[in-house]
Amino acid sequence: METNFIFAGFGGQGILLAGTILANAFMIEGKNVTWYPCYGAEMRGGTVNCEIVVSDSEVSSVHKQDTDYAIVLNQQSFDRFITRVKSGGTIIANSTLVAEARPRNDIKYVFAPMTELANDLGTSKVTNVVSLGVLASACSIVSKEFLAKGIEKVLGAKKKDLIPLNIKALNAISEEVTV
Amino acid sequence: MTNKDEKVLIKGNYAIAQAAVNAGCQCYFGYPITPQTEIGEYLSGKMQELGRGYVCAESELGAINMVMGAVATGVKAMTSSSSCAISLMQEALSYAASDELPVVVVNVMRTGPGLGYIYPAQGDYNQAVYGGGNGDYNLIVLAPSTVQECVDLTYRAFYLAQKYRNPVMLLADGLLGQMMEPASFGEYPYPEIDVSSWALNGAKGREARKIYSVATDEKKQIQHICDLHRKFEIIAENETTYEEFGVDDAEIVLVAFGSMTRNIKAAMKVLRAKGIKAGCFRPVTLNPFPHKQIHNLAKRGKEFVVVEMNMGQMFKDVKYAVEGLSKVSLVNRACGEWLSVEEIVSSVENVLRGGKQLAASL
Amino acid sequence: MQQVFSIPKSMKKDFRYTFCPGCDHGIAIRLVAEVIDELGIRENIISSTSVGCSVFLYDFLDIDCVEAPHGRALASATGVKRARPDKFVFTYSGDGDFASIGIAESMHSALRGENISAICINNTTYGMTGGQLGPTTMMGQITTTSPTGRNAEYFGYPIKIAEHIALCDGTAFSARVALDSVPHINEAKKAIKKAFQTQLDGKGFGFVEILSSCPTNWHMTPEEAHERVRNEMIPVFPLGVFKDIG
Repeated sequence: METNFIFAGFGGQGILLAGTILANAFMIEGKNVTWYPCYGAEMRGGTVNCEIVVSDSEVSSVHKQDTDYAIVLNQQSFDRFITRVKSGGTIIANSTLVAEARPRNDIKYVFAPMTELANDLGTSKVTNVVSLGVLASACSIVSKEFLAKGIEKVLGAKKKDLIPLNIKALNAISEEVTV
Repeated sequence: MTNKDEKVLIKGNYAIAQAAVNAGCQCYFGYPITPQTEIGEYLSGKMQELGRGYVCAESELGAINMVMGAVATGVKAMTSSSSCAISLMQEALSYAASDELPVVVVNVMRTGPGLGYIYPAQGDYNQAVYGGGNGDYNLIVLAPSTVQECVDLTYRAFYLAQKYRNPVMLLADGLLGQMMEPASFGEYPYPEIDVSSWALNGAKGREARKIYSVATDEKKQIQHICDLHRKFEIIAENETTYEEFGVDDAEIVLVAFGSMTRNIKAAMKVLRAKGIKAGCFRPVTLNPFPHKQIHNLAKRGKEFVVVEMNMGQMFKDVKYAVEGLSKVSLVNRACGEWLSVEEIVSSVENVLRGGKQLAASL
Repeated sequence: MQQVFSIPKSMKKDFRYTFCPGCDHGIAIRLVAEVIDELGIRENIISSTSVGCSVFLYDFLDIDCVEAPHGRALASATGVKRARPDKFVFTYSGDGDFASIGIAESMHSALRGENISAICINNTTYGMTGGQLGPTTMMGQITTTSPTGRNAEYFGYPIKIAEHIALCDGTAFSARVALDSVPHINEAKKAIKKAFQTQLDGKGFGFVEILSSCPTNWHMTPEEAHERVRNEMIPVFPLGVFKDIG
């Protein structure tokens, strides 16, 4: 059983880092996981994305055309990646920057004001981690417990003082989100 | 890292770089090119920190020749680059093979020919395996398929280079270089090779040594080429490695190298679920190539489908190994988007129906 | 009886003289050998030579050598020195090797201030291949690839190597010397010794350009060739020390 995720947004939103935290969470949980970024000239346009594939067995393709979950933090990414969500898949959007619209009826939608929630914590820089919390609420195989461990692993000793803020961001949305 | 067996989520490029450090690589020389620049970036700090050698070379020509100079003194050294810039190193690789210098070169393949682009591809198979330099020579070519193998085969590259005094190329691709996956480093698992019989360290208490490839005597030249050839036969005998999955009862064997291996393994499962008896074969060493093993599978009546991200380069080696004993088909794409499991499955089904071979070429 | 002349200890006992009659490579290599003897560094040397007549250095000197492809001696030497900073590392190149095909490697070694010594034989032509136009071929000089003489329109201008190397911040010593007369030969030896001492003192890149004759490809007798060095080359490629950080 393989599940894949695409994180997308503009440069500076911590897209690659959010993906890295998720991939670490899966690794700590003992699952097979891969993380693959867009790279090179593709990044020059200002949008960034990365793909995470998690699997019970060895991961097959690390880069796929379609995805189970797209986590999009800006409008451009919403417009681009909505076409890549599998039928029955889910798009999770940052409604602070993405207009609520449901152009496809074969996928699920989650809108959460992620940048706003991050600003409530004092900085928009944790928007990416807020998005991970939203993902955990919408996706049963993603656990906040392991995401918290992923945050600790990624921030490590060097940025230890940032861990409490990021844990708060992870829990900015506590209830199950409606899909 | 505190625990060497602990898994870390790491990029292929960083995994190669850290494995080189662990293997005792004393010097790194390189020039930036996407998609492998992280190797040089990582090592620039690391080598300084460890008091080892690092040069931002003026070019790939400079870099590979610095490696040759360094390894001539008996230390482990390497460079890394990608495709079009690996082309710049071909002259030196021919020299290194002739000089029997244990050079380690990493090629994180992008697209060619020419400048091409930074999309991952597998188009440098021929260059790596058959040599882009002049004359009769062989590189040992290792192709990792996972980030863990980026670690394991980097270790092996340093070991084999010194064991046989032969240049080794680690042939990875942009996908592997850029992706992250859990990997553990462990300890460098190979014994240190005694280089004291040939390494240059100053002619103290012994005859002066020269490492060179010029032979003005025809007989000596012939002898030298034959010696190199014989050495590679021994390498082929001892060091040919491959993986196979589900080939015993397979009617059709998918063959891939490098990171495409992952996709054929997944495709095999899907095909089997559909009642098609598929197996997988994956050369780990592209040179020496497991001709014998493929030939033996062909003798047992198995058909082959070669899946690769180029216009059919390893395909020819598989055909050569099969020697007409069974059908060999090609499923490929020139570069870019890796052939998906679904594409491979439908292409194999197409091949089985007797359809066009280049089922997924666009 | 006092012995006043002998073959330097650093030269091989069984070498066969393979240069053309009157070629200055023989003098240059002898000077290098004398300097190696005087500094007592033979057993600590790893040298790198690439392609051209200069490659025969390792047939004459009893030292460890690694070859490099044409033009890459300085890159190879950089690798040697970075791997073994405790070793004495020098290169011996022709002008085509050092300043044409290898100019990037040469210049960047100087810019990086590699603690190595480089010797370059400037004889204004590609000797081994039979006298073609090279980077130092003089204006008006006839070669097999400039049959009516070097002109700026077709061939551009010759490079003054020692001056260019002196401009590099990593260069500790750069000089041009000649081998056309005994006083000049003595000066040449001093310069080679200074360049080598520069490395021993850990000061950075040391360079000596040696104006040399190539009677065969110049179609001259050895005497005429030395006159050409004196009367034609030295006015264009002035002798002297262009950089010496002390």
